[in-house]
Amino acid sequence: MPAARPAHDATSLPPFGDHPFARLDRAAVARALSQVADRPGDLADVYFERSEVVELPPEDRPPGVRLRREEGLAVRLLRPAGTGRHRVGTGEPGSRGGETWLAARDEVTTDALADALRQTARVLPTASYPLPRIDPGPWGDRDGGDGGDDGDLAAPEVLTFPGAVQRAVRSHRAAFPAALTVRRHRRWLQVVGTGKVVPEPQAEGFYSVEADLPWGRWGGLFPSLGQAAAEEVAAALVERFRCRDAAPPEPFTGALVLGPAAAAVLLHEAVAHALEADLLALGGDPEAAVGVPFASDLLNVLDDPAAAPGPVRRESDDEGQGVRRRWLLRGGIVAEPLADARWAEGSEVLAPGAGRRAGRHHLPSPRSSFLELLPGDHPQEDLLADAEGGLYLAEAEGGDLDALTGTFRLRFAGGRRIEGGEAAAVVGPCEIRGRVADLLSAVTGVGDEARPGGAGWCAKDGQSMAVWASSPALRLEGVEVTAPGGAP
Amino acid sequence: MTRPGENEVGQGRGSERRGGERGGGERRGGERREGGRRFEPPLGEALEALEAAGFGEAEVYAKRGRSRRLVLATGRRGASYHQEAGWAVRASTDRASLFTTATGDLPADPTAGGHLLGGLLDTDTADGLPLALPRPDAVPRAAARWKEPSDYETPLVGETEGLRMLDALERELISEVPKARLLGAWLEDGSSDSRLANHHGVAGRWRLRVAVLRAEAALGTTRTSLELAAREARRLGPAAVARQLADRLVAAAAESSFTGRDRAEVILAPALAARLLAALTPMLVGPGAAQRAAVLADPKGRLASGAVTVIDDGRLDDGVLAAPVDGEGLPTRRVVLVEGGVFRGPLVSWRAARDAERRDTAGGRRRQGVGRGVQPAACSRRASWRDLPETAPSHLYLAADPEVRAGELVADLARGYYLVAATAAPRIDWGGGTSGGTFRVPVIGYTVRQGRAQGPLSGVSLTGTLATLLGGVRAAARDLTFFPYDGMVGAPTLRVSGLELRARG
Repeated sequence: MPAARPAHDATSLPPFGDHPFARLDRAAVARALSQVADRPGDLADVYFERSEVVELPPEDRPPGVRLRREEGLAVRLLRPAGTGRHRVGTGEPGSRGGETWLAARDEVTTDALADALRQTARVLPTASYPLPRIDPGPWGDRDGGDGGDDGDLAAPEVLTFPGAVQRAVRSHRAAFPAALTVRRHRRWLQVVGTGKVVPEPQAEGFYSVEADLPWGRWGGLFPSLGQAAAEEVAAALVERFRCRDAAPPEPFTGALVLGPAAAAVLLHEAVAHALEADLLALGGDPEAAVGVPFASDLLNVLDDPAAAPGPVRRESDDEGQGVRRRWLLRGGIVAEPLADARWAEGSEVLAPGAGRRAGRHHLPSPRSSFLELLPGDHPQEDLLADAEGGLYLAEAEGGDLDALTGTFRLRFAGGRRIEGGEAAAVVGPCEIRGRVADLLSAVTGVGDEARPGGAGWCAKDGQSMAVWASSPALRLEGVEVTAPGGAP
Repeated sequence: MTRPGENEVGQGRGSERRGGERGGGERRGGERREGGRRFEPPLGEALEALEAAGFGEAEVYAKRGRSRRLVLATGRRGASYHQEAGWAVRASTDRASLFTTATGDLPADPTAGGHLLGGLLDTDTADGLPLALPRPDAVPRAAARWKEPSDYETPLVGETEGLRMLDALERELISEVPKARLLGAWLEDGSSDSRLANHHGVAGRWRLRVAVLRAEAALGTTRTSLELAAREARRLGPAAVARQLADRLVAAAAESSFTGRDRAEVILAPALAARLLAALTPMLVGPGAAQRAAVLADPKGRLASGAVTVIDDGRLDDGVLAAPVDGEGLPTRRVVLVEGGVFRGPLVSWRAARDAERRDTAGGRRRQGVGRGVQPAACSRRASWRDLPETAPSHLYLAADPEVRAGELVADLARGYYLVAATAAPRIDWGGGTSGGTFRVPVIGYTVRQGRAQGPLSGVSLTGTLATLLGGVRAAARDLTFFPYDGMVGAPTLRVSGLELRARG
């Protein structure tokens, strides 16, 4: 059975140093923006972004170190429709819920901002406010402070991590080929909107690890990278190794225990996505979801970006709206959908603060950042003891939700049979599928220890973003387990 | 300075230099000469700066692009305009290599500004893996001279014009199927200009003009989607797209009476035939392709019926990805992979061909049978300036028969099925490299009796061996159509026998 996921690790991200947008004259930007939002109800914002990914590929795949840096800005204008915000698909003008304009540039300069403002404005003002000088400064000076070429790029924690994983794998008395790719992700943001409060600059950083194995791929996200993360990766890879030739379980309907990592994926797909305002709107009015019994009354789920692990903690979202501790499910009943500014506009039920975007060339949409499933009162031993004959599934390979039909699928590369109250013999790949509400209603036990960590990469709308969660283990009963892929 | 349409590929003495050598270049007035080849600034200056910093092997790449995107989706109707600019450097010393990218214009000195290039030379970051970059003669030159398409300068689709196209798509869909809903439609129209040079004298410039339309529609809880690409948005007719969506929705949503299994003849619409061809790329593209094809082929290399000819053409007339050079600056050309059913060789890069040659030489082997004597081709593609070049087809297609109309194939079918699309990705079981492999793909379509479409067909999978799929192609029509997969993949309507339809449980 994989080792428990650590809450903290010894080696954290290097300090973010001076924020590249800390000295931005936000008031001047806001004044210029006010000329774009020239009608009552208009929302407009400028999104400044700088990001960096340092990547160490597997040792036999040159180029040996990869660095991707980018910066840019985008100006956005949202103009709500007069009526019918949630009427969709009628083909009538205005039935789409207002209009959006965006202009994005791959540079952060005064000229780039001026161009983007001009292209976004529906009406050009006869006189305009002067724009501030915009200069995020050079890359190399930010952290190292030495003005050198490579001040902050040594990334020793990335370079040494594959070796640490190898040693940890050996400590499990296992040896197998695993091609590791390790990345350090950092992002600096500043959003200036037309609201009364201009948010502070935001920064986030984390690590991702991918492993190509002869029997499949594995991936994980970490807020910090050190020995504990290496142990966690090694444990997951060794478990994959041990499941590699195991036969899939015979299809059955019965009990499952999902480990915290697998439960985090379940939460993201089946709770967070299912309660995003834009996806709810595919089936009707998102506000109508509030108060609907949706899951077992054991499930209490929140999204709280401000409670995320330190390096990915946020005070405001990617629209510059303050984040909230948002109850998604209280006792299994829908409390509040995830919404961004567009869906919250004019609503007394939906609140902004969950708008996320992968970058300046994308529009924001509602998405979770850090989900929390409140712990229950079952030690993991009890969960296993009450699921005799079922499966223990520690990690999910991935999942998907069809928001139109409300059907859901969660895939597993392998797991273990529960025998004698313990996770015992290995089984091969399998999946669970069904209607979201049925699956969530099948939860009969919630573990007493929640573990924070990465829930994985979410690819909603083609925008790949890291999502995080804190979840205990879950026991489900009456769940149908099938071979991977089912028919086609 | 290289002008588009002129000699796009360097062929000078630079090709004789060895990786790791320094110097040799000559500089005049901001331009750099490399083996008789001139690099336009700042490419030449950047290469010189890299060389001065100790990188004996280096490549610089710069790209600018602009695009307009229109969207019609749940709760959203909008337009956006994007200007993109970025650059990339691949470089290596004799003991370490790196890839670094950034937004903006390529600086004359990429080693300045903290983009890692200086730091790599430190001992603790050296990976011991020098990088090999291509020389101008790494692949055979194209027989045909490159002719630059005339539409690069065509204006991007306008905001109003583009949104009207999407509105029209929604109206047409609803007029075809009144209860249908357009869940979303996304149109992107863009152009880009890329320039590249390396220390061996390879230099190239290429421009692309690409429009992509993606649409998702639903009928009740049945959902379908479609993605098309063309050189200009204006060529993507909303009425035709709406009809395709409607055909798929009606077939997928209908109650199908099909039960059990049936081995009747099938007509594969271009969308399905192209999707199957895309799924077969592992036996057509890349270093492992020849081995997979060999399992299917007879000693003479025949692995398909005489109606099957497969081509990859980086310079395809009117092709969405047509360019004089690939993502490493090497000259593109037309490569025949399967000719009249006989496997001629896979699409492999110069690097894969070199590695195979080295392995053969080291092992004292001489390749026999399928795939022998394979010539490398320019088949490296960069998804963006952020990405390393990867081996991929540009326009991979099953050749059409100009004498045959698609309607004739259906009209000649006494009893069978017309299959319009796959509802999920095909699954290929390659058989572990020892047997011929099988495939299975969920499909929708219509039953055909006496040349006429009868009831809709859904809830079925098309299945069979790969040998039957390839060997069972009886005829190809002339309606070659391309779809955006990993590169553009195209096929005409095909008539195939020997495959089985199975009801899905």
